[in-house]
Amino acid sequence: MQDTEKQSVLTIKQLNHSVATANGSLDILKGINLEIKDGESVAIVGASGSGKSTLLGLMAGLDQHSDGSIVLYDKALEALDEEGRAILRGQHVGFIFQSFHLLPSLTALENVMLPNELKGERSAEQRARALLASVGLAQRLTHYPRQLSGGEQQRVAIARAFASAPKILFADEPTGNLDSKNGALVEDLLFELNEKEGTTLVVVTHDPELAKRCDRQIEIFDGELKES
Amino acid sequence: MFAWRLLLREFKTGDVLTLLIALVVSVATVTGIGLFVDRLQQSFEQQSANLLGADRSVRRDDPPPQEWLTLAQQNNLETAQTVSFSSMVFGGDGLQLAQLTAVSDNYPLRGEFLTDERQFGAGQATADAPQSGEVWLSSRLASLLNVELGSEVRVGEKTLDVTRYLVRDPGSATSAFSISPRAVMSAQDLEATGVIIPGARVRYAFLYAGEADQLEQFDEILQPRLAEGERIRTPVQRGERIGNTVNRAESFLLLAGTLAVVMSGVAMALASARYVKRHLTQFAVMKTLGATPKRLVSLMVFQVSLITLMGIVLGSVLGMLVQEFIASILGSLMTAGLPSPSLEKLWLGATTAIISVVAFCSPLLARLVQVPPLRVLQPNTDFKAGSASLFVFGLVGMYVLMVVYAGGWRLPSIMMVALAAVTALVFIVGWGLFKVSRSLSKQATTGWQVGLAALHRRLVSNLFQLLVFTLIIMLSLVLVGVQGNLIQDWQAQIPEDTPNHYLFNVQELQLAPITQYTKEQGITSSEWYPMVRGRVTHINGVAAETLFPERRNEPEIVERELNLTWADQIGEGSTLVEGDFSAEGVSIEREAAIEANVGLGDELEINVGGLSYTLPITSIREVNWQSMQPNFYLILPKTVLSDYQANYVSSVFLDERSAPGFYRFMADYPTVSMLNIGELLKQVQAIIAQLANALQIVLAFILGAGALVLVASVRATLDERLEEGALLRTLGATKRVVRQALLVEFGALGLFAGLVGAAGAELSLIGLQHFVFEMAVTLHPILWLVGPLSGWVIVTIIGVFASRAVLKVPPIRLLRSI
Ligand SMILES: Nc1ncnc2c1ncn2[C@@H]1O[C@H](COP(=O)(O)OP(=O)(O)OP(=O)(O)O)[C@@H](O)[C@H]1O
Ligand SMILES: [Mg+2]
Repeated sequence: MQDTEKQSVLTIKQLNHSVATANGSLDILKGINLEIKDGESVAIVGASGSGKSTLLGLMAGLDQHSDGSIVLYDKALEALDEEGRAILRGQHVGFIFQSFHLLPSLTALENVMLPNELKGERSAEQRARALLASVGLAQRLTHYPRQLSGGEQQRVAIARAFASAPKILFADEPTGNLDSKNGALVEDLLFELNEKEGTTLVVVTHDPELAKRCDRQIEIFDGELKES
Repeated sequence: MFAWRLLLREFKTGDVLTLLIALVVSVATVTGIGLFVDRLQQSFEQQSANLLGADRSVRRDDPPPQEWLTLAQQNNLETAQTVSFSSMVFGGDGLQLAQLTAVSDNYPLRGEFLTDERQFGAGQATADAPQSGEVWLSSRLASLLNVELGSEVRVGEKTLDVTRYLVRDPGSATSAFSISPRAVMSAQDLEATGVIIPGARVRYAFLYAGEADQLEQFDEILQPRLAEGERIRTPVQRGERIGNTVNRAESFLLLAGTLAVVMSGVAMALASARYVKRHLTQFAVMKTLGATPKRLVSLMVFQVSLITLMGIVLGSVLGMLVQEFIASILGSLMTAGLPSPSLEKLWLGATTAIISVVAFCSPLLARLVQVPPLRVLQPNTDFKAGSASLFVFGLVGMYVLMVVYAGGWRLPSIMMVALAAVTALVFIVGWGLFKVSRSLSKQATTGWQVGLAALHRRLVSNLFQLLVFTLIIMLSLVLVGVQGNLIQDWQAQIPEDTPNHYLFNVQELQLAPITQYTKEQGITSSEWYPMVRGRVTHINGVAAETLFPERRNEPEIVERELNLTWADQIGEGSTLVEGDFSAEGVSIEREAAIEANVGLGDELEINVGGLSYTLPITSIREVNWQSMQPNFYLILPKTVLSDYQANYVSSVFLDERSAPGFYRFMADYPTVSMLNIGELLKQVQAIIAQLANALQIVLAFILGAGALVLVASVRATLDERLEEGALLRTLGATKRVVRQALLVEFGALGLFAGLVGAAGAELSLIGLQHFVFEMAVTLHPILWLVGPLSGWVIVTIIGVFASRAVLKVPPIRLLRSI
């Protein structure tokens, strides 16, 4: 019932991905089919080296896949060039990384304003302040990343990810670099914002707790997908 | 504006600041040198113009047509005229044949007369020319006529008052060989003398001066109007002594400028490589945040243009200040102040900045824009920030810059070949040395072990650093070597008792008494050379006019009548380069041979007194013109010339003590012409002194730039070193061990670099000596000591200083690194 109401935001059909290496071509992903619906939260789990990050990157259009089709918000990624994919990312996609990747030369506030400024939007500051307040960093606006702890940096990264009001958020091991307390805090924030903003959430994680909180869990075995 | 704010942010973190500083340094260096060289050149030109009496002169047998004067005036040029002739001058005791010059009121247009109120005085600059009714006599002429200031003398039918003793006429240095006792008078009195009659041998000079542009325009207007055999003389001319000195100085300063360009290029490449390395992930992040490639390119272009612009403005200002500073130091050493720089030279700095950015930064920055966004998920994704093709791009840029700067391809090509050779050498030798040091480190104590191992561990970046250090040490050594060479060369060429008077038109019978007198008085003199005039008409049977239809490129040996001589021995101040001097043929001076494109075996047809002789070239001599010995382009076999009536020529050195006596003695030989070139020598020496000082300052300037590059290159590996330092500390290494490791690593780098640099410098110096300065090749053993030693000391100091943060880095940094 619920499923029919919700629209599909990401559809993957017969996705294969291989890369050229010194010892010939290496197949990383094989025959992946997957559909993710609006507002869903999906956890991708699997052993190290199984291809999770690769899949995440392809879904978000960070790279060109070898074969098959990926449709993100009605756009076939294989039909877009880097320019087109970047525009699509700017419109709909948010990111959170294991190692935060804040720009060291920018303050917390400026980091959060960055996505909107890259798009040339002016009124970025209001929203950035509000977002930082909602992740509990209202007092740290002018601090630089090196002045923040890992947990704080990841919270800034979350604020940044939500800054452009993305419809879908990809997170690669967002709590991987954090202790359990900070990890839990970041996790809470993630789901809170996911609720509030209605954002679709795709999380790669090794953390069973985090995986369990998601609506669906997908496991990758050696490049092949197995839903549980 | 977003891009602008982002850039401001970057300044705070220092990367962009480094880039900007590199740019400012490069622009300032180039601008400073450019402006300064320009001022020096202007100053030389002015000084040589002083010797010419104008910016240009045309000598001819008839008065200049009225049309020339009108045209010159239309081109806003000042003109003056002189008329030179020989005439009897009557005074007190009798009469004397003298060389007279009648000058227009505004003569000289450049430079000044030197005159004195004491006979045989040294002379003071005298602004004006003789007025109507006045005559200035050379001390010698006055003593020959036995007249003094206030006496009257008669030239033809005109009586004139002797009002000053003439020491030097500004134009005299270039009219060298015809000077006997001299006098200068006003052109207004010329007609009244009545000596200018048809058939009299009279030389007219048409002189003009003005702004460079207008001079050039007018040269072109005048050129087609010149008669056969006439030419426009410019101040600095090939073959002239001062011209040679200036040319060498120019080569040197350009070389210096080129080195500055190379260094700034390296600094900029280093700075942008570091920038790119640190920003790869950032750019990938921006891409994941939806920044399109177009957006990033425009962001980049905006930022780079802004930095370039700032670099140009700041660098130009700094460059102007620096050259002003150099000029002010020099100004106090120089008799005449330097002319102000031509501001259009500023484009040189701007061009350098733009080409540097395009060649050294943009390929790297372009790679930055191309970084795959996937990098944020897989940091190890294969993506090289630098590659061989980028290196090639930088090299091409460097070459283009050097060509722009040197205005030719020869010097840049030599430099590039040397650079390629050194790079290959450094990589091979460095690789070997690092391998050896690794095996050594196995038995070493902790600090040594870590340091030596570090050499091998960062093989690629250390090889690159080794290359940079080597280049800087090599270039510095080349500079010092070249400078030493040049200055020694110049100074050695003008010894204390260099002859300062030439004696001409000496008859065979007069040789013995004059020689006896100089011997008795202890006056240094050269040998006597017989002199016969002749003209080269054909080369290998082809008429000179056919070979060189354009009068402009006519080589000196066919351009005019030459003084020919014969000699049994090659003579002082000359050395044999090729062939056999005693063979029955022509011996030719090397530069004249190069200019006329002839060599051993080529046949010259020479017309002497109406008879033609065809002779092969059998030897080539190198002549040291600065020796002030009588020198000849062509020396012919005695058999050809001995039948002709020869005049003899010699040179003597007279000082204040011996001059008056010698002048009085020579009064008994009124037909002998005497030319005082002491003034000319003084000028040459003054220029050399100026240059020596200027070169030292320019050298210091470039070495400073080199030190900056050193710092930048150490900073390029700083991140890695910090990480390593923190790791070592975390693993329990004491500060002492970390410091020792740094000392060992940089010490070894410096030592190796010094060694390889010395080898490279030796090779380059040999190449430069041979190809550019055309001097004899010498070895420089001192380089092999100075190179490694200075490399060791300087690289250690700068390296440890630039990476001192490594000693202070708290181990916690490892956990906080971003
Ligand atoms: N460009 C590439 N070239 C070669 N091999 C690659 C490349 N990209 C990914 N791989 C390989 O593909 C496999 C999957 O990589 P991926 O990063 O997706 O794994 P992962 O599941 O995210 O692992 P982890 O949990 O350790 O992050 C790995 O074996 C990796 O080495
Ligand atoms: Mg991964």
